[in-house]
Amino acid sequence: MKQRLNVLAAVGITAWLVSGCASGVQNPSGVPVTVLKPDEQGFIAGSGIESQDLVAVTDKMARSLLSTPEIQNFTPAPPRIVLLPVENDTRFPINKDIFTTRIRALLNSQAQGKMRFLARDRMTALEQERALKQEGKLTSNSNPNVQEFKGADFFLTGKLQGMTTQAKGGVSDYVLYTFQLIDPRTSDILWENSAEMKKQSVEDAAYR
Amino acid sequence: MILLGLAGCASISPEEQARRNRILTQYESALTALRAGNYALARTDLDAALLQLGSNTAGDVSARESRGYFNPESVKSFRGEPYERVMAYYYRGILYWMDGEPDNARAAFKSAAVQDADPETGKYQCDWVLVDYLDGLATTKLGGDGSDLWRRSETNARLNRPPPYDLQANVLFFLEMGQGPVKYAAGEYGEQLKFRPGSAPDPVAVIKVADQTVKVGAFDDLTYQATTRGGRVMDHVLQGKAVFKGTTAALGTGAIIAGTSVAIAGNSSTSRNVGMGIALAGLVSTVVSAATTPEADTRQWKNLPNLLSFAALRLAPGEYSATIEFQSPSGKVLVTREARFQVVTGRDTVLFLSDRNT
Repeated sequence: MKQRLNVLAAVGITAWLVSGCASGVQNPSGVPVTVLKPDEQGFIAGSGIESQDLVAVTDKMARSLLSTPEIQNFTPAPPRIVLLPVENDTRFPINKDIFTTRIRALLNSQAQGKMRFLARDRMTALEQERALKQEGKLTSNSNPNVQEFKGADFFLTGKLQGMTTQAKGGVSDYVLYTFQLIDPRTSDILWENSAEMKKQSVEDAAYR
Repeated sequence: MILLGLAGCASISPEEQARRNRILTQYESALTALRAGNYALARTDLDAALLQLGSNTAGDVSARESRGYFNPESVKSFRGEPYERVMAYYYRGILYWMDGEPDNARAAFKSAAVQDADPETGKYQCDWVLVDYLDGLATTKLGGDGSDLWRRSETNARLNRPPPYDLQANVLFFLEMGQGPVKYAAGEYGEQLKFRPGSAPDPVAVIKVADQTVKVGAFDDLTYQATTRGGRVMDHVLQGKAVFKGTTAALGTGAIIAGTSVAIAGNSSTSRNVGMGIALAGLVSTVVSAATTPEADTRQWKNLPNLLSFAALRLAPGEYSATIEFQSPSGKVLVTREARFQVVTGRDTVLFLSDRNT
């Protein structure tokens, strides 16, 4: 009996030495590439603005904008819309253009020609092209001396605002996303919609 | 065998430790690059570090290990003390402004303020002068109301009072001086994290450009920020480890002495066995004590400055050459920097200058 106990103790200690004590490396063999849906939260997450927030917010904005009477009833159709940069008033530096880019992409795919977006971010290249046509250095299917660049019927822009609370090791972030359609002639806000997110987390005690 | 086991528990491979020091390496590399004018590399390193800094640490294996009795605190992945995290966001904010993104710069300054938001004592929180000042300046330039932030920066100013916002000022000088605080471990077992002060907070910077000469002192002192934030939750964990270490050492020594005495003095095999058993338990306790590691983590962002300063000037569009002299309080020039830059309409020109090279 005593000998059996000694053997069991030796086996137990050996097992402890071999297996349990090696410093716990998280995912020592790495994690293969995992394809996630953009609206899924991955296992690497914080309390900031992430792809699933972008997807949810821009989906909501695009659906709402499509049903706006000013868009549906605009004459002469289709209305021309210019995207203005989103203003970031949160504590999270972001790629601001990505919000309006995604809204534009959704609208272009779903609006069936009911609205047009103007590529103001490409104006330098467009003006160079027109200048070369005017100088006769490039061919043109129309008279390059006629002003054909369209003016904006509406501006689409947005603002991200945040509130942060931090207490014993934990942080809570609230972000309000608002988007507006503005009449450039009168400054009227013709359409506005918003979405809000709140996230919180508590850090490991080693970092508090 | 117990000692081997506990030693095995505490061992981290050099590769794994390097991975856990990755943020620290990125911090130092970014600042070296920023001082050398390699802004692209500084951006890359800071973005990589801040991406990890922004993620939640719940469930982090290295953090859990660092709280264990047989691992030092330094096995946790480095993120930095609050003053170091503030500086990472501060430098990234400068780079955003340099790139013509004052709103993202403001976001970085806001994140910097959050790092300083919860000291143990409830005092000295969110008291960085420049972080609030620059948040308010960016807000004002973007058409918002930054007056509350300016008032808060003025209230917290201990060294020099920041100037009122000048919306027409289009050339921003971000300046830094001196050597930052140095961490060391104190206490019987090195369980207390302490700081040796950095450079004295009295140098000034004199900016000479066009027909303007502007003298600015420091607004923020990193030694003050590092030493006034109060304790950490981890300090209590380390204190607990130190008490455990001391207690097991004392018990172990006592048991070895007592057990050996009983074994020697015993006049029967039973008493000798009991004595040997007590001595063996004492030995185990001593070994456990030796393996307990309450040492505080003294890894630190070594090339941080001690003092931060700022100036905003009005200059017409064109090419300029500026001279910046970092001077002692008596006016002795310690370091001179030259900067050539272009001012354009529609956006601020941002310059970053340090009295250090790396």
